[in-house]
Amino acid sequence: MLSSFLPDACCREAAAGAPGAADPLGGLAALAGTVDATAAQAVLGISLPSPTIFAQYFVFAVLLGGIYGLVALGLTMIFGVMDVINFAHGALMVVAMYTVLVFSNATGLSPFFAIPFAVVLLFVLGVLIYRSTIAPIIDAPQENQLIVTFGVLLILISGVEMAFGSDPRQLGLELGSLNISGVFVPQGQLYALVIALVALTATWLFLQRTMLGRAIRGTADNRDGAQYVGIDVPRIDALTFGIGAALAGLAGGVIPLFQSFTPALGDQYLINAFVVVVLGGLGSFPGAFVGGLIIGFIQVFGSAYLDGSSYQILIFLAFILVLLVKPEGLLGGSADE
Amino acid sequence: MGDNPADSVSRRSFVKYSGAAGVAGALAGCSSTGDGGDGSDGGDGSDGSDGSDGSDGSDGGDAPDEVIIGSNHPLSGALSNTGERMDQAVKLAAMLKNESGGVESLDGAELSVVSGDNEGAQELGGEVAQELIDEGASVLTGCYSSPVTSAATRTAESAGVPFVISVSVANSILQETELNYAYRPQPPADQMAIDHARLLAESIRDAGEEIETAGLFYIDISFGQSIRDALREELPANDIEIVAETAYEPGDTADTQVTSLRDADPDAVIATTYRSGTIELVNAMDNQDYRPDYLTGCSNAAMNDISALEEMGDTVEGGFATNFALDPTSDRAAEVRSRFESEFDSGFDANVAMTYAATEVIIAAIEEAGSADPEDINDALGGITVENHIAAMPPITFADNGENENALAPLFQIQDLEDRVVAPEEFAETDVQF
Repeated sequence: MLSSFLPDACCREAAAGAPGAADPLGGLAALAGTVDATAAQAVLGISLPSPTIFAQYFVFAVLLGGIYGLVALGLTMIFGVMDVINFAHGALMVVAMYTVLVFSNATGLSPFFAIPFAVVLLFVLGVLIYRSTIAPIIDAPQENQLIVTFGVLLILISGVEMAFGSDPRQLGLELGSLNISGVFVPQGQLYALVIALVALTATWLFLQRTMLGRAIRGTADNRDGAQYVGIDVPRIDALTFGIGAALAGLAGGVIPLFQSFTPALGDQYLINAFVVVVLGGLGSFPGAFVGGLIIGFIQVFGSAYLDGSSYQILIFLAFILVLLVKPEGLLGGSADE
Repeated sequence: MGDNPADSVSRRSFVKYSGAAGVAGALAGCSSTGDGGDGSDGGDGSDGSDGSDGSDGSDGGDAPDEVIIGSNHPLSGALSNTGERMDQAVKLAAMLKNESGGVESLDGAELSVVSGDNEGAQELGGEVAQELIDEGASVLTGCYSSPVTSAATRTAESAGVPFVISVSVANSILQETELNYAYRPQPPADQMAIDHARLLAESIRDAGEEIETAGLFYIDISFGQSIRDALREELPANDIEIVAETAYEPGDTADTQVTSLRDADPDAVIATTYRSGTIELVNAMDNQDYRPDYLTGCSNAAMNDISALEEMGDTVEGGFATNFALDPTSDRAAEVRSRFESEFDSGFDANVAMTYAATEVIIAAIEEAGSADPEDINDALGGITVENHIAAMPPITFADNGENENALAPLFQIQDLEDRVVAPEEFAETDVQF
């Protein structure tokens, strides 16, 4: 699974995301401007947005897609290597959100310093959770691990609720926005996207260029074979779960940069993250970002042009369509290979 | 992908469990946010049956020593901060009644309150109501979240125990099914919209300003949809055209919604959401440097919450809101507020005030009935008029469908980051400022 990471696919994705963030107009407004709005309106009977508004939606779609991609990274990694569906992923994100809050309040330092702390803390927490709950039943049927991670979710969320209550919290950063020809790019979300791309690249390099990364990929490909060639699979599992939790910590850590949060927020991200993982391909990092962008575009343009929350129907239609047409996911390898 | 033969199986498993995740996540979301569900009424079955045994029933003969009020509120989960204070309001009303000598018509019988935690989850609304009835409650109150209240009122109906809604706005609770044991002192969604459209338009135009268009920002659950539907009728009736409608999903940012509003450029943006949705709206407005002429809230708790107003800052200064309220002109209301704050060391907001007022209605009905029997209390509720209450509305009296015939949602304006009642005149504590 993870061995199928395509360097070119990754680079293409990174390249596709970056210009959208750095130069939101990047020809987009101009492109939209070439559309004869009046004629299209007459033909379609709908009101087309101005190029600026269209570009604004585009920017938000890219920013949101990047966040979904980041949220899905840890989930896809743990499943790719261990075949464990980590229900507690959203709860780990929530722990990171409140870690950033507590660290920032306690030290008075910028939340940007708190994010690495949250990542390290979540790595340790992930390893502990793995050792205490998953490892003893790693060879049991998948349902058992699923239920255990669901239990971890309940414990973590209840703990956070008891400690912090359920009212929404925010850091009050007021990072502001970049205004590029009337298109606003909220800096909190921009930083989150940059961090997501850096995380993607760093994790990919780690997996491709280090011995440990190769061991993880080998374990993902064939657990028994990895054991035969001397890889300490239980250790790799612990490391993988820790990295997955750390990635959840990173995703949870950046969310307070642009959004208020509650203990329930992790679950809300998690549901879309499951869709992202299936869309992009199980175990595929670039796939997670492609899936994230697809969901981001559907959500932003759907909520702008469809009634109420009916864009959610589109999200799940895309999900079903991918399962029917390319069940291994857009960037996943074929199961028949 | 690798050659692991388990891959295809695993993929199917992932999809299967992802589906399970969706369902479980949704359930977890429901239980922790209380936002979930579609409102409506869902009913939850419940067995109903007897239920009336209550503390002691009895009309003739000896008066009971106590009458039990069941309080069904979210004491844990995302709504618990407000839910706990609502529960405390019920207890305070009973406590003050007991301090003044108890129920006069029952020879000084004391009121006691049993509390149940519905976690803001629809599936627990009826279950908790039944538990409270089984514990002897003669009358119930609750539940804050509309879907939960919908379920709880139907259980109370089956059991023949009266239910006085503390806070819940969805029209469907009382207006889709005929209930004989449910009553709502607060204005429901359509009344909120009527009052908002009328008082907002009047206040702005009387001051020589203009308002011609509005954009709706609403949370996409039964609560928000009810208000949206009512505003669709009431705003045009007051010569305000709706030029944009945008739905908000809990847990999202409001970036896209604010862009849509910015594109439509209405005179007023009317927000109907819980606290977090309003905070996200304001954050997105700040991010896009967007300021409509009027930012208003219709049944918007954040606009009546001092800590939320401080959190949102200058963006909401001068904004308007319509909600039920503590009567700012009443000395007794001020005393109750002061006592609550000293007794429980927590804030007395509009939800707490309305819950206290609902409990005042319950107490008046018990006094009127002179009985702890649910049937007698229900009969009393059907014909009661409660003049001496702390809410900013005329005397409370119920129509056949259980709605308060005189329900009113006054208009507030945010002045110096405090919500001040500015209309109607009889409840106004200050003038509108522009």
